[in-house]
Amino acid sequence: MIQLLKMAFRNLGRNRRRSFFSALALAMGLALLLLLASFVEGEMGSVIDLTTRLESGHLQVRAKTYDENKTSLKWQDLLENPAQIAAQIASLEPVQVATPRLFASGIVSVGSETSGVRVIGIDPLSDANAPFRDGLLSGEFLTPEDREGILIGYPLAERMGLKAGDKLNLSVNTSNGDVDEQMFIVRGIYSTKTGGFDRITVFLPLAKAQAITQTDNHASTIFILLKDKALTEAVAAAIAGANYQVLTWEDMNELILQTEQMANGYIYILYLIVLAITASVIINTLVMAVFERTREIGILASLGMKGRQIMAMFLTESGLLAVGGIIMGLIIGVLVVAYFTRYGFYIGNMGVTGLLISDTIYTELTWQDTVNLTVLSFIITLLAGLYPAMMAARMDPVQALRGGR
Amino acid sequence: MRLYFRLAWRNIWRHTRRTVIIILAMGLGLALMMFYDGLIVGFDEAIYGNAIRVLGGNIQVHAQGYRLKASQTPLLPLPDDQAVVRAAQELPQVVAATRRINTGGLASSREGAFAVNITGIEPEKEAEVNIAAQNVVAGRYLSGDDGDVIFIGKGLADAMGVGVGDRITLTGRSRHEQMRKRTMTVIGIYDLKMPDLEKRTIYISLSEAQSLYDLNGQSTEVAIVLKQVGQEAEVIEALKPVLPGYEIDSFEANFPELQQAIQSKSGVMNIFSVVILMIAGIGILNLLLMAVYERTREIGILGALGLRPRQISLLFVLEGTMIGLVGVVMGIVLGLMINGILMRVGLDYSQFTGVTDYTALISGRIYPSWGVEKLLWRGLTVAIISALAALIPAHEASQNEPAQSLHYV
Repeated sequence: MIQLLKMAFRNLGRNRRRSFFSALALAMGLALLLLLASFVEGEMGSVIDLTTRLESGHLQVRAKTYDENKTSLKWQDLLENPAQIAAQIASLEPVQVATPRLFASGIVSVGSETSGVRVIGIDPLSDANAPFRDGLLSGEFLTPEDREGILIGYPLAERMGLKAGDKLNLSVNTSNGDVDEQMFIVRGIYSTKTGGFDRITVFLPLAKAQAITQTDNHASTIFILLKDKALTEAVAAAIAGANYQVLTWEDMNELILQTEQMANGYIYILYLIVLAITASVIINTLVMAVFERTREIGILASLGMKGRQIMAMFLTESGLLAVGGIIMGLIIGVLVVAYFTRYGFYIGNMGVTGLLISDTIYTELTWQDTVNLTVLSFIITLLAGLYPAMMAARMDPVQALRGGR
Repeated sequence: MRLYFRLAWRNIWRHTRRTVIIILAMGLGLALMMFYDGLIVGFDEAIYGNAIRVLGGNIQVHAQGYRLKASQTPLLPLPDDQAVVRAAQELPQVVAATRRINTGGLASSREGAFAVNITGIEPEKEAEVNIAAQNVVAGRYLSGDDGDVIFIGKGLADAMGVGVGDRITLTGRSRHEQMRKRTMTVIGIYDLKMPDLEKRTIYISLSEAQSLYDLNGQSTEVAIVLKQVGQEAEVIEALKPVLPGYEIDSFEANFPELQQAIQSKSGVMNIFSVVILMIAGIGILNLLLMAVYERTREIGILGALGLRPRQISLLFVLEGTMIGLVGVVMGIVLGLMINGILMRVGLDYSQFTGVTDYTALISGRIYPSWGVEKLLWRGLTVAIISALAALIPAHEASQNEPAQSLHYV
């Protein structure tokens, strides 16, 4: 075995440049795939992370009849006494924070311009609103007692030419199916760097939101963040009650999970194509090596080397080539990925509103992807080596000695 | 020069197998790009094809200042909408030119509320060209003298739990900054199989919109329907001198984000494809290195016959480029096959229509095109990369000393 490795290594060393370039082809392929995988992982990871933090939480508790697509404000579709329910849930050990939220639809208008928005009534003191508080660009955050303040997103402010302190008109639907209009003062402008969310979401203090929508002491949902995502199911079971529905982040984010699945499917096809191209470069190099060494193979065979052993020798060569290429590829790949993990990849505003995609994507390389791709490229390189190795093994020693085929 | 071509062509086929393998690699790379290009065009077409019909025309004319605020649909009346209509109708490419009022509002019922685009249309004039008018599934389409009735999509009807005859409250802003609230009866429901889009668009008659939003006899938009897609540019050129001070845009301008999404995705894909082609380029490099080595004596003979080093280099660069170009041919065949199959089958996109405003316009499946739109560029990229890959071996070949090479065994 050691003998075989030594021979293979020396054989590769005989034409260093060619071996280097073959390994480089593999390295480039692997690096490209690592970047791709980390990009998708970073994108999907950030989508899930953003959606959880901004929109869905890990869990939500809603009234039995509440339908997310309708933003109904009928009392029977809402939770009564939400503060009390939230406090109960918050007292559970794995729960990081639980806070009531009220959803309504509305339009913001300034002058003759209008823009449809989603109004969320929040408890300004809750830690669950940290992304908005930390993302404050100007003005200040809401306070529970605020009766005329509203918090709006940066894209909306920019489009409507609003600054902190400006006035706007907000019309929202109410519990009896009517629409009510009121003037508000822009208290602050926030940005979560997620255009799709910031553009359509405005915040009011819960008490004010309840007042304008005539939903006294009611909320649409209890938004819950856990200390550990893995405990979602356990907590969901613990708080399940007859009067309301408990939704996990998986229930609420089906679209994201589907998108992720589709992306993974497509990306595997891409992996295979890139590796097939890499493999054909390697096949070619090895085929040429076999031809060059026809006489040598003849000598080895006449000295008593079996076909299997000759095959093993060439396979070892491709194995060594693979190892070299993979090491190079990992170095290049990790460096490139590290750059984008640090500085991000600006994709700008693609008008995505259905998913929460941040305007900059930070690549994220997982161990799983790294190991998978490394193993995959190793296997494909070995498979690529199979054909030349078989060719070498099948040579007739007498013919080969004469240099023929 | 022709001699070089012939020599190079013969040389690359001296070892069929290795050439074919590299050609396959190049072809695979190119086919992947064609697949991508085809998908992008298919995506575009799926969206734009419906966009024209949903927007009410290939071209929209607005008053000055509208473009900047387009997403807020400001109520900016056209100075003389009749003149715009007349000017458009004089052009031979124009099928119809209709006046509209576009504004944002809130549609609400006991069940819930939705932010919607309210579009006031001239029912009779649009009957032939409006896609919603042709897909009525319940009740009836609008008529000119309708008051207090609205025509909504199935997506919205389902979401709000309303049917024909039910009442919806419509809230919007009039020109003089007053809130207008009106309860209206659903007269008809249309179904375009695009629920996400239907949720956002409702129609009322123009006269109703005029009285609701204080735009007596005025409108904010003229939508122009053309005989064919692709005539937009010439019609816009023809209209511009006649209609100074108006903003005339083709339908694409309504989707700035789509353009950006496609641009940034194409940018990533371009980098990606260059890397893939470089990998295949390494294959060409290795192959030619080997060829130089094998043909040492031959190169010596060529040198002895009087070929200059530069000419020998040229021969090898030509060989590399030719392999690349045959790869392009291979790629075209593969790409056409892949896209040909997908054009028949289509790719299901229905789950993801809610992701953006523009994907809401996709009704079900996407059918890619042949993917030949950028073929010239792609082919050129392949040729350049192949030629670059051939440089090292070519240089090597030219450095051989003829006298020594001739003695090489």
